[in-house]
Amino acid sequence: MSPAMIKLTLMEFKLFTRNFINMFFLLVFPSLMLLLFGGIFGNEPEALYGGYGVIDISVPAYAGMVISITGLMSLPLTICEYREKKILKRFQATPLSPVYVIISQISVNLLMTIAGMLLLFLVGRLVFNLRFMGSFLPVAAVFLFSTLSIFSVGFLIAGLAPNMRAATAIANLVYFPMLFLTGATIPMELMPALMQKIAAVLPVTHVVRAMKAIWLGEAAEVLFPSLLVLGGVLLVCSYLSLKLFRWE
Amino acid sequence: MIRVDSLTVNYGELRAVDNVSFTVSEGEIFGLVGPNGAGKTSTVECIEGLRRAYSGTVRVLGLDPWKDRQELYGLVGVQLQDTAYQERVRVFEICELFASLYRRPTPYDELLKMMQLTAKKRDFIANLSGGQRQKLSIVLALIPNPRVLFLDELTTGLDPHARHRMWELLLQLKKRGLTIVLVSHYMDEVEAVCDRVAMMNCGRIVSSGTIGEVVGRFALPTMISFRSPVEHLGSFENLAGITSVQRKHNLITLCGNGDKAVAALLRHLEENEIEYTGLAVKPPDLEAVFLELAGTAPAADSLEGVK
Repeated sequence: MSPAMIKLTLMEFKLFTRNFINMFFLLVFPSLMLLLFGGIFGNEPEALYGGYGVIDISVPAYAGMVISITGLMSLPLTICEYREKKILKRFQATPLSPVYVIISQISVNLLMTIAGMLLLFLVGRLVFNLRFMGSFLPVAAVFLFSTLSIFSVGFLIAGLAPNMRAATAIANLVYFPMLFLTGATIPMELMPALMQKIAAVLPVTHVVRAMKAIWLGEAAEVLFPSLLVLGGVLLVCSYLSLKLFRWE
Repeated sequence: MIRVDSLTVNYGELRAVDNVSFTVSEGEIFGLVGPNGAGKTSTVECIEGLRRAYSGTVRVLGLDPWKDRQELYGLVGVQLQDTAYQERVRVFEICELFASLYRRPTPYDELLKMMQLTAKKRDFIANLSGGQRQKLSIVLALIPNPRVLFLDELTTGLDPHARHRMWELLLQLKKRGLTIVLVSHYMDEVEAVCDRVAMMNCGRIVSSGTIGEVVGRFALPTMISFRSPVEHLGSFENLAGITSVQRKHNLITLCGNGDKAVAALLRHLEENEIEYTGLAVKPPDLEAVFLELAGTAPAADSLEGVK
């Protein structure tokens, strides 16, 4: 990494932390929801949740919430903003290619996603005695894979949106269903069967399923279909966003 | 310094720049002017290496801006038409970032001082006024310690005072030996700072040279106006060199050919003891050329009151 690259990434990092919506929905909202659900239901094992407590299934499920704010909101909106404000074009006229602006955006959002997940884990652990049935490396791998997959959806939004206003509309239209209909906020187990079927078309549903499966140490049959879907999303969205991407 | 030879730029079917050639010499302020959509920005973007020419050659400091862009960007400073920066970045943060991009950057504190932005150093860009943002974009363009500076629509949206301050700054930069290419559609700005101009319309250069040369080539009339209660305008029309006469209330406006017409008019007013006030003579200027080109010449608007 060149000094310029470090400076750029640090600046993007500061910008992320100065964005209230990002910080609230990434660091405050998930823990708040966890405290709310945990406060109401406790973390006692229940048959409805397959013999786990509500916190035990919520922490991995909330990974969907954490990844959605960075991947579906922060990333596409920032890229659209930079394109609309001609910041990417301005970097074209410097020795540092605007490709690095995109790379630093991905890095910062990835790091912040990880930070959001760690915080959630800590709150679950310290407040509710969260149970963790999986092992660290596979969980981290599924989490990173899920993040990349949702980021590719974000890039597709950035590529499709003609301007900032359209990007905000599309991001909201994608973000809120993904937040509430996929089990990323409200446990899937509480939803009617039909709803659960509909939710299967949303990529974040598969983040939630995969994270829960690996977290709770469930059988591979539960995990792999969702990983396959996320891999498909990653391939298709990356291909389309590369085709659609514009610098200005 | 800069040589553009038969430059052509296409956007699909549309030819945005058509066979444009000009040169810019070291230490001059060169203006690229013309109506919106004339191809100014496309031309300057080819020189900056941001756009690929369809045909023709461009050389900046001996470099090909498209092929040698990495080398070029260490030597030129660029201010793009309406670039904005991130609202929640502090002034010094973006300056530091830009300084880290170049090998021998000019210390940005000096530049902030020159642009009277020192007090704003720790402010968010969101809190800067339009003029301060434009100044910041010049600071960022000067950080590479460039030999050539490109400024596109520099003073759009600034108040008259800020515009005059900006012109002084440009002349200061010129004194430091900088070569400046200024894209503008404000003719007063170009007349105030540019040594030479190229006037573009519909993708072509219609005229180029010093401002006097460009204006001279169009043979536009001198406008003479004054206020007078005089009733009959017929006698004015027969004066040597006067081509048209019109009146709005008591304001009489004559078009004529240069100083001869002015002299003839003055004699006429004197000999016939015609009362008049507020005599103004406006020789053709770049603005008149511009309006002529844009197809909206300051024509005989209404004939109301003319007898």
